[in-house]
Formats: sequence, C-alpha cells, structure tokens
Amino acid sequence: MTFSKNESLCKQELQSWQLTHLQETLERVYYLVPFYKKKFDDAGVLLKDIKSLKDLSKLPFTKKQDLRDNYPFGMFSVDMDQIVRIHSSSGTTGKPTVVGYTEHDMSIWAEVMGRAFTMGGVTCQDIMQNSHGYGLFTGGLGFHSAAERMKIAVIPSSTGFTSRQLLLLKDFGATVLTATPSFALHMAEVAKNEGYDIQKDFKLKVGFFGAEPTSDGMKKEIASIWGIDYHEVYGLSEIIGPGVACNCKHSNLLHIHEDHFYPEIIDPKTGEVLPEGERGELVITTLTKQGLPIIRYRTGDITSLTRIPCKCGRTLGRIESIVGRSDDMLLINGVNVFPSQIEHVLSKQDGVTLNYQIIADKKGYLDKLEIDIELNPEMMSDDIGDLDRLKKTIQHALLNHLYINVDVKLVAPKSLTRSEGKAIRVIDKRQK
Amino acid sequence: MKYNIKQLSVFLENRAGELSDFTHVLSKNNISIKSILLADSTDYGLVRTIVDNPEKAKTILEDEGFSVRFTDVFGVKIDDIVGSFDKVVTVLANEKINILYTYSFYESNTGIFIFSVEKNRLEDAINALLKANIEIVQAKHFYM
Repeated sequence: MTFSKNESLCKQELQSWQLTHLQETLERVYYLVPFYKKKFDDAGVLLKDIKSLKDLSKLPFTKKQDLRDNYPFGMFSVDMDQIVRIHSSSGTTGKPTVVGYTEHDMSIWAEVMGRAFTMGGVTCQDIMQNSHGYGLFTGGLGFHSAAERMKIAVIPSSTGFTSRQLLLLKDFGATVLTATPSFALHMAEVAKNEGYDIQKDFKLKVGFFGAEPTSDGMKKEIASIWGIDYHEVYGLSEIIGPGVACNCKHSNLLHIHEDHFYPEIIDPKTGEVLPEGERGELVITTLTKQGLPIIRYRTGDITSLTRIPCKCGRTLGRIESIVGRSDDMLLINGVNVFPSQIEHVLSKQDGVTLNYQIIADKKGYLDKLEIDIELNPEMMSDDIGDLDRLKKTIQHALLNHLYINVDVKLVAPKSLTRSEGKAIRVIDKRQK
Repeated sequence: MKYNIKQLSVFLENRAGELSDFTHVLSKNNISIKSILLADSTDYGLVRTIVDNPEKAKTILEDEGFSVRFTDVFGVKIDDIVGSFDKVVTVLANEKINILYTYSFYESNTGIFIFSVEKNRLEDAINALLKANIEIVQAKHFYM
C-alpha cells in the first residue's frame, strides 16, 4: 500500500512532473529571491535554458554558507504572513541556519512523512511515542505534526528522561517509536536495568529512526531488542526536515520523495554529476516548496542513488543509508556540529587559547563530545574557582550555540598532540 | 613588602606522573621546595608552593611549558600551644578579612602557616597581625 499515487508514477509521468515543478521553482526563486537572481545572472544561465532535468546541472550550487550569509530570512520566497513555522539548526559558524514553512510546505512535509508511516504499516489506530527532541530542530515537531495530520495518537515525550519515557511507553502502550538510533539503544539498556521484559512489557511493532549515521548491525540490533520493524527516515532541515527519504519493507535503501526533492549525486571535488549507482555527495533541489525553495543544495552527505525498481511497486529512486560526509560535520546524538562552530565560540572566550581538540566518543550507547582546551598561560589563576568558572562559562556558551552539552576539559598549555606542528582538531573514537 | 612571599601557583593536569614532571624540573635545577599544597578539581590540579628561588623557578618552569603565576602570601609563626592558631584567625576575622586558604609546615619545632587572603587585603592582614603581636616570617627567610 502506498500513501499517494505520486509514489508509483511511471518514469515519463514522474519526469514530466519534475520538470514542470522545477521550472516553476526556478521562476519563483529568480523573481522572488534576490540571492538567486544574482546567482543565476552571474552564472550566465537564463531560465529558458533549463529545458530538461539534465539542464539543472548548468545551475550553481547552494551551500550552507549561503543560508548564513542571508540570515535570517533572506532566502525565503514569501512574505512573513505566509510563514506558519520557523525552524533553525546551528550553522557552521556563528549564526544559525533558518528555515521557514508555509501552510502548503507543512502539507508537503506531512505528505512525505505520511508516506514513511505507511511504509511502516502505521495507521490512525496506532499510538506513536515521539522521542525526537522538540524545539528548534525539525526532528520532534516534524514527526509530531505529520502524525497528528494522519490522526495518529502522538505522545510528545521528546528526548531524555529515559525512566519516565519507559513508564509511558509501557503504560500508554505505544505501538510506534520514533527516536535517534542511539537513543533507542540507550532506552533498551535502561529498560533492562530497570527490570522490564522488553518483548512482553511493551507493545511496539515498528520504529522510525534517523538523524545519525547507522550501521546495518546497529539497525538489526535495535530491531531485534525491541522486536520491531526498523525504518530509517532521512532528512535535513534545509530541505524540509525528516521525511526526505525512507525505506520500505522490501529494501534497506531509502525511497527518496523525488517528486518533491530532486536528487543528484555529484563528485564533491569537481561538482560533476555522477552516473547512477556511483557514490558521491547528495545534492537536492526542492520542487514544490514555497517558504524556502532551494536549488542544488549541497547536503554534505555521501550516498548513491539507484532507480532499479523496488518490489514494493514504488517507482521513486532509492538512496543508500548515508555512508559519510564530504565535510567535517560531526553528528552528536543527532545534532549537527561543525568544528568551525566550536572554534568560533572559543574565539570569544577569555582565558583559553585556540589550541583545542574535539573528541567524539560513546558513553554507553549515547554520543558524548569532549573538548580539551589549552589554558592561556597569561590567564592562569591561583583560584581553582576561577578555573571552574571558566570551564562552566565555556560549557554554557557551547550549549547556547551548538544546542548540546559538551564536556570541557582545561589542559596545560602546549599539552595537546600536534602533528607536524598543527594541532589535531578532531578525534572520533566512535565505531563506524 | 618585606613580609610578602612569592608563592608559585602551577596548573597541573589530573593524571599520574604530572606532579613528578613538575618536581623533576625543580630538583634538576637545584631548587628547594619549602612547602607545598595541592588543590584538585576533577580534571586538573593547582600546585601552590614556596621555593627558595621563586624567580628562577618561574622562568625554568615556563621554559618547560608549565603555566605559572606568582601569588603574594604571608607566613605566620605559630607555636604548638592550644589556642595559638585560633588567635591568628580571630584577628583576621575581626578585620573581616576572608582567608582563601592556608597550609603549614614545621621548622625547628615551630609551625609556619602560609596564608592567602582575599584580593587587596594582604597589607591589612599583615598590619593587623603585627599589631596583635603575632610574629610574621620575613620573606627573605625562605629565599637563598
């Protein structure tokens, strides 16, 4: 069963839909978003030059930095009276990335999430415990709004408070769980420690997970511990949030909703479009969005795209689960962290140097981020309270800018490992 | 100023061997530790120490990559008699001077207590103690 007929259009129908909506979107951004007018003019591309989907490759890319340069609303193609929701994620440095949705965009979001829920066999009879973080991130509210529109009973439990989550999960009898994979494993561990019989005490039958790179082994582990079907939901706020792609029951590859989000795979170094099946960076053009239409957005995610037909009957192309990044972005419990952001925050702090090391590791099943910072010898204090305050101030600043808790460790000057004179900035100890 | 002792405060990471790295530098350079206090937090510690040549110690420690600063403290002679320590801290309390920390060592049957007090109150503390006839050790007593 599919959620909408667009999921199984024949190739010609799909491509004609895509081209029509691409041309509409290009017209929209060219006339309504000065950034794109300038960008297309500078590239010497006329709207009438885009006669086929292939011609899209003539257009320049949009990067995360462009969103930042046009902070906060410079990339929106509608006035604020049309915007009904604003989300934001941390940017690469300083200013966050802002995205806006019209009522129409919210319907598209609900539509693609509805497709994902249908792939997992979820109906309005189900109860969904949504353990994605609520707030500025698209995870929590993205799942929430879509579930509500599908008349699924949704429990907005958000993330954390694991013991209470488990109590609700048992007593309310949720049949669907949505979370980051690491949080799902963490919940299972706590459930065991608290004496729950996971298979008997809970009624879960399906789970939707995402926002983290996840190995096949980890997916199988979550599915077997909880006794559920595992579905991966891929998305990013710049495109819409969760719901850009999701796997059906027949495949580990994720159907990308390419009637709304047109995918290309490029060589991240040259920018050339790669042939089907080859791994490269995923680039997405939104075809139907109004609030923040985006052209050839460099997601930074490395994957491949195939259009080999799927047994389920959907004709949408499929992408692999993300295998890596083309940049240095780290994912910490589902939250994007760029080393440049951390450096930006540290550069505004007195008392420390910019010699730091970022260490990503696992604590149990959850990610933890530690930052070792060399103390500025001139700010050395005789007061241990001063040093503790300095540490807390930095932790607070990082929480404010990155939205995550970071364990800050002050270390002696010149103590961090250097490689050929250059400090090693990031150490990721997590298993790939 | 003759009572102001230059104490070295040194930042150390909280791991085995860090303190001996520090003391090796001093012993190698023939610097004698008169008294030492270790304060610790979860990830790091602060060593406070009185040595016989603070200027030289600071220079060589910094050359070895340690973070060092001077803190002015003073030393009070206190006999091993009930009430003698109480007398000293009572004088400071009456002057409403906040003591940050104190540590002690023995020298030929007399205790010497090193005091660090809140910012800008060092002279007040010394004057009040002298007025109360309490013996304060001159800084040169410690130096080579």
